[in-house]
Amino acid sequence: MINVQDIRDTARDLLAKGEVRAVIGYRRGSRGMLAEPAFITSPEQADELVWDPTCFHNLSLYLVHDRKFLDHIRKNPGAPVAIIAKGCDARSIVVLLQEHYFKREDVYIIGVSCEGTGVLDERKLAPHLNGAQASNAAFDGDDFVFTTAEGEKRLQAREVMADRCLECRIPFPKEHNAVFGEDKAGRQMEAPFAALTRFEEQGSGERWDFWSHHFDRCIRCFACRSVCPMCYCDECVVDSITFPVTTETTAEDKANRVRWIERSAVRSENITYLMTRAMHLAGRCTDCGECERACPVNVPIRLLNNKMEREAREQFGFEPGASIGGPSLVASFLDSDPGDFIR
Amino acid sequence: MSEQQVYEPRVVAFLCKWCSSAGSDLAGVSRIQYPANATPITVPCTGAISPMYIMSAFNKGADGVLVSGCHIGDCHYIEGNYLARRKMQLIMELLEFIGVEPNRFRMSWVSAAEGAKFAQVITDFVNDLKPLGPQEKLKKAEHS
Amino acid sequence: MEKILNKKHIDDWIAALDSWDILGPVLEDGIWAYQPVSGAVRLDHPNTRQSPKGLAFPQREIFFKFEQIKGEAPRLTQVVPDEQRHAVFGVRPCDGRGVPRMDLVFTDHVEDNYYQARRKNVAYVGLACNKPPGPNCFCLSVGGSPVSTDGLDVQMTDLGDRYFVKAVTETGKGLMTAAGKLFAEPSAADQKQVEQVHADAVAHPQRAVRNVEAVPAKLKASFKSPLWQELARACIGCGICTFLCPTCHCFDINDEVQSKAPLKGIRVRTWDNCQFPDFTMHSSGHNPRENTGARLRQRVAHKFQYFPENFGMPQCTGCGRCVSECPVGIDIVAVVNKVVENAG
Ligand code: SF4
Ligand code: SF4
Ligand code: SF4
Ligand code: SF4
Ligand code: SF4
Ligand code: FES
Repeated sequence: MINVQDIRDTARDLLAKGEVRAVIGYRRGSRGMLAEPAFITSPEQADELVWDPTCFHNLSLYLVHDRKFLDHIRKNPGAPVAIIAKGCDARSIVVLLQEHYFKREDVYIIGVSCEGTGVLDERKLAPHLNGAQASNAAFDGDDFVFTTAEGEKRLQAREVMADRCLECRIPFPKEHNAVFGEDKAGRQMEAPFAALTRFEEQGSGERWDFWSHHFDRCIRCFACRSVCPMCYCDECVVDSITFPVTTETTAEDKANRVRWIERSAVRSENITYLMTRAMHLAGRCTDCGECERACPVNVPIRLLNNKMEREAREQFGFEPGASIGGPSLVASFLDSDPGDFIR
Repeated sequence: MSEQQVYEPRVVAFLCKWCSSAGSDLAGVSRIQYPANATPITVPCTGAISPMYIMSAFNKGADGVLVSGCHIGDCHYIEGNYLARRKMQLIMELLEFIGVEPNRFRMSWVSAAEGAKFAQVITDFVNDLKPLGPQEKLKKAEHS
Repeated sequence: MEKILNKKHIDDWIAALDSWDILGPVLEDGIWAYQPVSGAVRLDHPNTRQSPKGLAFPQREIFFKFEQIKGEAPRLTQVVPDEQRHAVFGVRPCDGRGVPRMDLVFTDHVEDNYYQARRKNVAYVGLACNKPPGPNCFCLSVGGSPVSTDGLDVQMTDLGDRYFVKAVTETGKGLMTAAGKLFAEPSAADQKQVEQVHADAVAHPQRAVRNVEAVPAKLKASFKSPLWQELARACIGCGICTFLCPTCHCFDINDEVQSKAPLKGIRVRTWDNCQFPDFTMHSSGHNPRENTGARLRQRVAHKFQYFPENFGMPQCTGCGRCVSECPVGIDIVAVVNKVVENAG
């Protein structure tokens, strides 16, 4: 069991000694039990930090924000930023390092092991609480314990854990500067890609019915992109902000402008967006589950990313976020890559 | 045109300029007969083809998309086609995953000397596309 | 007009409204959404994930089609929203209050024909909240109430085995008289019960924006406050808070080309959103709202300062969607209270 006090002590110490300029972690928010991202810069704030099953956010997104901001004000980072990272989050950081988004010495990784559990899927919790609201959530061995107005509610974590955590192979941040909690590799509760495998048992027709339904539902809020640490492009293919429209711009110019994806949130455009995003994440998505969690209309985005992850693993022996020095999936190849589909 | 209009699939063919594009020219000058369903788009190398192009071609109404480049070992940029092989496999798997018919996407290696092969690739592709009918799944809807 | 409707007659009522398309709350894919229903309407939903604003202000509105053949004059064909009438059941009072706010936006200064054309064909059949259905409800503190009838055509109140149904507008009366036989006159006991239910609803504790009348001035004084960036630090700039909001109405207009020769396409209006980083991006690359702080300030000040200045009421109706659904916990109630507190 991780004692949150240890995390706080580490954060306080790092800040007091000036070894880091900030600590990105979790604190209790204003919405019931839910934790929210915290950015602390002074040792006194360290006591705000929490660690509980609602710490689902992949905070490495904020390393990207930080980098973008520093670039914007043309400032050198100076001291590193410390960040609290779960297994999947730490793998995201590894991908960012692999892509030279920032340097290893720019970040101080305070790893936290998910040990025997993982994080909560709020959608799974609701039916257990019968409308009650939880004001607190805590880890307790293999259980999650929720505090509600009606008293304490103890649930087996696996009943309400996020799917990705049930399937997680490496619930431990291998890459870290400091780490809390035991490495319980092999504690996996479902086979890797279990949800994907179940889905793929359906025929092509059913798969299309499923996806066309969801492609119709997307409202193109882009939360899935915005919440993803890997979606760091300054200009995404769906934005076309570099096309200046002036009074001189003719209809012809506009017609000839490259627009991959129109603004209308309709099936054809949503497909192009979501498929492209899945491709752009192939070999980079570490299945932190944030896109699917953020989606306000429950588009099962994780399946797309999972599909890419499994293909990468099975066809090319590739594991996202495994090593900083390793090649990236689509910028490398092996002689032995399959080619029998090519005529 | 006969009363029963024959369905002619529209193929968007991304052709590497160093090989398949020249291969298609050769098929032409050699007067090899093959269906005229393909709209060629010449690219500098298959390695330069973004999966976005494939999605975009389907979005704009292609019934089938072909990617064709230099044989392994012959890429003008040494490794472009190796990279393409990976990327194209991924997009192919993804298309199939969401329920798009696998025969709508195809990849081939056709050298500048293989005019006959190019004609064959197109012929086969068009034949395989015909029974599938028009591609409506990924296509932008028309507004009447 | 005030009547009693036995719960088992709600489907008959809906069936009687045969010239209307009926929408009701449906739970699908894990979320509640207003969807076409035909009978079997159950109004036991929490608030829906998306507000019903899309009925009058759809996410995508085609204005016209264009076609240009070289050498000829361009041809424009206006697309007019169809005349089908929609009655949406189960609208919560906060979403009802969103309606007059949207009406103001699309009527003041300019009459938006597309909005008007749709709006006149929508009837909002509301459901009073006997108890706030969400943990982040705060209608009471922004001038609303769980039993408000503002913006609704009909208000229904759940009295256990029956509904107390009250016509608020002429349209509402029409909906009720279309199935007059199904409704009974309320007894004195029914009246008493509904009063009690409403009183309890209003007495139920909610979250609250403190002293909402004082907020505009405080926000004005806080325009340059560094607090904005601090509070918006975690914001990821997604569109969730505004796309789900019953009163956010920003849009973009684009030409979507469907064919180049001949040049053919549509001009469309789509929802846009002040939280997107490129919302205010200029062609030059300069962005006047250059960080999340400036963008959060815009959203909050629009709801709680600019709208009150222009129209004399907060734009926010307290539905709590933006609070509940923000992926990173940006909470408009906490933000307003903090900024106000800080302004002294
Ligand atoms: S996916 Fe693995 S590492 Fe990530 S939160 Fe779940 S259990 Fe932890
Ligand atoms: S998939 Fe979900 S999160 Fe992503 S753009 Fe669509 S609605 Fe938004
Ligand atoms: S904010 Fe008020 S009106 Fe809206 S759902 Fe909550 S209690 Fe009902
Ligand atoms: S406040 Fe929340 S919901 Fe709104 S843009 Fe920011 S992160 Fe998204
Ligand atoms: S600002 Fe938030 S709480 Fe207020 S009406 Fe909009 S979504 Fe609801
Ligand atoms: S040059 Fe032909 S595939 Fe690279």
